[in-house]
Amino acid sequence: MDRGTRVFARVTTSSACKRTSMRQNAKCYLNPMRTALALTACLLLGVTWAQPAEPASFNLENGMKVIVEEDHDIPNVAMYFFYKVGSRNERPGITGISHFFEHMMFNGAKKFGPKAFDNEMEKAGGRNNAYTSRDMTVYQDWFPSTALRLMFEMEADRIRDLSFDPKIIESERGVVASERQTRTDNSNFGLLYEQLNAAAYTAHSYGWPVVGWASDIQAWSLDDLKAHFRMGYAPNNCTMVVVGDVTLDAVRKLAKEFIEPIPSQQPPAPVRTVEPAQRGERRVTIVKAAQVPQVMLSYHIGTAADADDVALDVLSTVLTNGRSSRLYSRLVDKEQLALNIGANAQPGIDPGQFLFFLSPRAGVDPAVAEKALLEEIEKLRTTDISADELRKAKNLQLTQLFQQRTTISGRANLLGQYEIYKGDFRKLYKAQDEIEGVSAADVRRAAQKYFDSKNRTVATLIPEKAPVIKETASK
Amino acid sequence: MNRLLAAFLVAAAVLSAANEVRLPRYTREVLSNGIVLDVIPRAEVPLTSIRVVLRGGSEADPPELGGLSAVTADALRRGTAKRSADQFSNELDSLGASYAQQVSPQSTVVNIELLSKDLEKGLDLMLDSLLNATFPAAEIQKLLAQRIDGSKALKDNGGAAVAEYYRTFYFGANHPYGRPVDEISQAKITRDAIVAAHKKMYVGRNMIVLVAGDVNANTAATVRKALAGIAAGSPWQWQKAALPVSAGPRMAIIDKADASETQFRIGLPGIDRTNPDRVPLWLVNTLFGGRFTSVLNEALRVNSGLSYGANSQVEQNHLQGRISISSFTATQNTVKAVNLALEVLKGIAEKGITAEQLASAKAYVKGTYPADRLETANQLAEIVGDIELFDLNRGEVDDLFPRIDSVTVEKANEMIRKYLRPQNLTFVLLGNASKFPPGLEALGVKAPVKVAITEPGIRVTAE
Repeated sequence: MDRGTRVFARVTTSSACKRTSMRQNAKCYLNPMRTALALTACLLLGVTWAQPAEPASFNLENGMKVIVEEDHDIPNVAMYFFYKVGSRNERPGITGISHFFEHMMFNGAKKFGPKAFDNEMEKAGGRNNAYTSRDMTVYQDWFPSTALRLMFEMEADRIRDLSFDPKIIESERGVVASERQTRTDNSNFGLLYEQLNAAAYTAHSYGWPVVGWASDIQAWSLDDLKAHFRMGYAPNNCTMVVVGDVTLDAVRKLAKEFIEPIPSQQPPAPVRTVEPAQRGERRVTIVKAAQVPQVMLSYHIGTAADADDVALDVLSTVLTNGRSSRLYSRLVDKEQLALNIGANAQPGIDPGQFLFFLSPRAGVDPAVAEKALLEEIEKLRTTDISADELRKAKNLQLTQLFQQRTTISGRANLLGQYEIYKGDFRKLYKAQDEIEGVSAADVRRAAQKYFDSKNRTVATLIPEKAPVIKETASK
Repeated sequence: MNRLLAAFLVAAAVLSAANEVRLPRYTREVLSNGIVLDVIPRAEVPLTSIRVVLRGGSEADPPELGGLSAVTADALRRGTAKRSADQFSNELDSLGASYAQQVSPQSTVVNIELLSKDLEKGLDLMLDSLLNATFPAAEIQKLLAQRIDGSKALKDNGGAAVAEYYRTFYFGANHPYGRPVDEISQAKITRDAIVAAHKKMYVGRNMIVLVAGDVNANTAATVRKALAGIAAGSPWQWQKAALPVSAGPRMAIIDKADASETQFRIGLPGIDRTNPDRVPLWLVNTLFGGRFTSVLNEALRVNSGLSYGANSQVEQNHLQGRISISSFTATQNTVKAVNLALEVLKGIAEKGITAEQLASAKAYVKGTYPADRLETANQLAEIVGDIELFDLNRGEVDDLFPRIDSVTVEKANEMIRKYLRPQNLTFVLLGNASKFPPGLEALGVKAPVKVAITEPGIRVTAE
């Protein structure tokens, strides 16, 4: 039973979800690729385990790729659809439409009308969610294996014959406006992150929020939606991943029956804009009512397929993972400059960012906390991390990946992320070598290459003196 | 036609196969010092969870020292007889292990997850923190200062802040579940109080140890040996408290002048963890506000677009808890959304549910249960830990599906009449109060309590 044990996904970064919820399995994967590193990496730690059947894949005639991993441990299935369309494919005026579209995918098609997708699915013992990022829109279905056929039928229906009811569009617009309000406008973190990105990117579409600017949310039209559907929802622009209590044959048969007849289409046009190199530090400030300040830093990095990708993950682990990590140890524990601190690499299909975020302690000047952070970043550029520190970072990354591997949904997500970002889900099985291959020199080289002050954007939220509000409350 | 029939038969066979859930076979023993030890196999990945559950939790906090059990748990690893705080963290991180502590109303849980091959090292770290913590004064001072700042920072997050205001307002400061945990209470916590709480609570007869994951025949012996030196002590004597009797509807308004949305909660009296109504009420709550197509979410999100989401939850703690409606909406829609949530409550109370709805709820709960509760080693340790903590048995899982099947429409509607009663409700609203549209008076609350979020602490009781 729901006993309030589920946690709100802290949506701080570049994705938005269909569902909120203290109760649904609402996982807005903050940065799915970051957690998708090494899968079979246990070998290097001297352990082995019985792995479920290796995933297999096949292609449908309409161009959709299907990846299947059988696992009969629990009688359930995780079926994910990765559409390679996200906010990077948008343009000013329609920002957020990919995410809005994600919501509309649950609002009725030809065979299964409004509400039917959710009603039929829950009646069959299933639950769903979806998330949109800069790069992709992902639909997540979790259900007992008895509902496999129903799910194929309903997914095919909405991919082929989604319908748009103007009344539902208006109602769903309100839902997305509320989502933006709760996650961005009423979240100091969300607000600052949005401004950081807008400053870090001057030309590329990674600069606008996945959820969309508030004014665009009010302005999307039916025609915008239809155009988006035609653009992004081609079967040849999608990868399906099925993990759990299924057989490869059963999935193949159902995919051929339901999905293959859907015609292929022109995929989205290439994103042509390339972010020009940054030539000097940028700073943005937000002044608003707040209990504590916030500081965020962003450095431009490469793409998810870039060779530095793994070294950057090791780097973020060294800095913030665990209480013995460099930044936690110094800023949170020893010098007590920050309440919390985090860092992660967010590469994408196009060049992404390495982010740092911290909340200064009460009474600590944000500039002082920032200075300590910059000193630690500088150390990485001048001195190699020790062998022990490197080993520790690798071990931390690996056990965290095992944790992800324990669930069918975790594996479905990893396989899809690898397929989209690295071009082949099988690269997941080489991740152990990649992690093991990172040297202290690689980490230093990556730090030198990206953590240049000219490549930096700094965003600071400064608390405004709160007005005396005792009187207004007694109105 | 033949093909269809065949497909149907296959589906039916799978359905019946999946129509039960069982805990894996696990070993249970009570050690001479009173520790209950359960070893639960789950060999999917080479990870093992060591979970230690201590009876008591936040209900053991003295009334004016809200947060004491949480601070004590947080301090365990910040210096022991064998290791400094830094040494502890470095050893733990070097194993790639995670260490987490969590306090609930009735338990403190410390959990280490690590590679199975490192089990003995993990046990050593776990026991060192649980039993040999020295609570160095400098570390305690640092920890308390951090937590006090954290309490202030909480108020920047309306959704997190409203949960605390709602809890303290609903239960009241005299109830073990209603004590504020804020900068005021934590400023009163001393090292002596921590040491005393530790000495009293972290003892064998108050301890449940669960090891789940890639375990083998020797695991139990290894753990048993490691636990042998722990003093038996006395078990925690559970608190007894009735819910405060609410004379009528009551309301607290928390003013957050910079908010553009209103977070609201509506509370009704619920059940405790072992209440025999828990399975039928679970099904009813699934339909009320426990899933996406629930009537609450449908009204506030799907049909009206007033909110990103609305839900209801049934707490299950050692003492009777709340049934809580939660949602949020733009400030200008505050009254509309609260009224709509109330209408939904009144609607289900008047009309009840149908056989078809009940069948859908049963399928949903059964279909989602395995992945929610039984897929990972951590989940198994959690559920077996609950079974021990609440003196239940493995029937909690093994008999769940038959219990679900046996719930009739009559029974479900009896639950609605018994629990979903739209009277004497507790309302908490957090938002820009000066901009709330008129109309809240119609809810019939005589004198709402009003507090500005900028006032110190989480203090909402007006008297």
